[in-house]
Amino acid sequence: MKNSDNKRDWGAYAFMLPAGIIYLSVIVVPVLYSLYISLFKWNGIGEKEFLGLRNYINLFRSDPIFLISIKNNLIWIILTIFVTMTVSLGFAVILNKQFRGRTFFRGFFYFPCVIAPIAVSIIWRWIYNPNVGFINQFFKAIGSDFSQSWISDPKVSIYAIFVAALWQAIGQPMILFLAGLQAVSPDVIEASRIDGASGIKQFVLITVPLLKESFVIVIATLIVSAMKVFDVIQGLTGGGPNNATQMLSTYMYSQTFQYNNVGIGTTIACVMVIMMLVVIVPYVSFTARED
Amino acid sequence: MEGKTQKITKKVVLYLILVILAVIWIVPMLTLFLTAIKGKKDFYSGLSLFSIPARIAWDNFTNALVKGRLLTYMKNDLIVSGLKVPLGIFIEALAAFALTRLNIKHKTGIFIFFLIGMMLPMQTALVPINVIYSKLGFLNTYFGLFYVYVGFGISYGILILRGFFKGIPKEIDEAAVIDGCNKWQLFLRIIFPMAKPAVATLVITDFLATWNEYLLASVIINDNTKKTVPVGIMTFVGEHGTDYGYLCAGVLVSVIPVLVVYLIFQRYFVEGMSGAVKS
Repeated sequence: MKNSDNKRDWGAYAFMLPAGIIYLSVIVVPVLYSLYISLFKWNGIGEKEFLGLRNYINLFRSDPIFLISIKNNLIWIILTIFVTMTVSLGFAVILNKQFRGRTFFRGFFYFPCVIAPIAVSIIWRWIYNPNVGFINQFFKAIGSDFSQSWISDPKVSIYAIFVAALWQAIGQPMILFLAGLQAVSPDVIEASRIDGASGIKQFVLITVPLLKESFVIVIATLIVSAMKVFDVIQGLTGGGPNNATQMLSTYMYSQTFQYNNVGIGTTIACVMVIMMLVVIVPYVSFTARED
Repeated sequence: MEGKTQKITKKVVLYLILVILAVIWIVPMLTLFLTAIKGKKDFYSGLSLFSIPARIAWDNFTNALVKGRLLTYMKNDLIVSGLKVPLGIFIEALAAFALTRLNIKHKTGIFIFFLIGMMLPMQTALVPINVIYSKLGFLNTYFGLFYVYVGFGISYGILILRGFFKGIPKEIDEAAVIDGCNKWQLFLRIIFPMAKPAVATLVITDFLATWNEYLLASVIINDNTKKTVPVGIMTFVGEHGTDYGYLCAGVLVSVIPVLVVYLIFQRYFVEGMSGAVKS
């Protein structure tokens, strides 16, 4: 055994080479380069001026929009954990029951997932149109004079976008929960029924603990995607009105590509990574430990 | 007797819930469709959003495809996705093969290293890629987009394929080696073909992710003749933001390819993806 380990098989490394080179050049080197750029004041073309950590300090100390973005990302995380996860678990439980047409309904509720998020945002832009959009027309049709400017009202816009995102976002966690539910042995459920556990009690006490693994994956992927959320915001409001829906991703984008504050934009991206490490490190070690 | 009526009531309630949810879920697509078939006049004549117009405005569709350049956008997207998906999966499979079946040191460490890329936000690489690409002349090229897409797909591909390869018994390798296979033959003739179910799932999810990608494409491509569908469709909003029929027709047409792919391969999504999760 020891002998074969000592004999390096260089041919084996050749298999890793294409993936390794591309991964290094697209992800690793650019990320390190970003960390470097974040230490400078730079407009993307001219001379770089070294600032040390001052970009980071300025963002946290004296940039209210940056702080709003962090707050909005946190709101988004909380919304996805409580709403997206609950709704998708509900769908999974219903679609795990035995009934005719189950496959059709599974496919049906998953389908918004395959549409481009940017297309989803345009569809919902139209639904939320204050004059002729579906929602306000609907209230009119049922005889209510309730009317609301959904995405242009800073008080409701983030929730309006969240609903649009929810339409698409439940598919993935739903599938993960379904996979978990299918792995739950019917014998266990049957045994608990004999023991006299009622529907809800049985679900909370028996099924939910058995879904532990699904919950870990769902929560980790939901938090990561909530930190990254971009397309649906960019397509619906671009961070407006008056920064009410600004996220770290959209703020990074506008700082970098609209205002040419490349140093600041890159710093925001680096802050995103640092914040995400809180999720990434435990999740990756969980995934690696699994096998 | 009571048990039976209870069972039927339960079924009725279940279907009722499903139908209500389905109606809510179809609203966005239905609105999109009903708007796309209406002409400009229909909007000003006070026709309700929910009605079907007397004449279907086919112009909306032809305009979106030709004048709106949607045909060009779709062609571009097809070229990039058509290159990225097979080549990306092949490269990922090579690495996953080495990580599961070859004599390599620090396998878990390398795997974790690759896994991290799945979690990182693309924003972190955006500026450097832009800077490097503008120096190398890769901006506004199919190759430039293809290359970063392969890079960002590697983590997920390796995760899925590695999981599948691990499930293939080692005896197969030994038998193949006895039969005189070398590593490449083992990979190309035996292991990779055996991974068909995982590859099929990956092809579909990868195609959709590439076809739908917006952020990288919006930074790398700004030449109208090279734009992919998501970037192109955002151009629609800028140019024809108030011509709703035309705009919705464009979005509807852009969604049709993915819906077709989805309907054909639906089985792989729900069944295949839960399988991928288990492994």
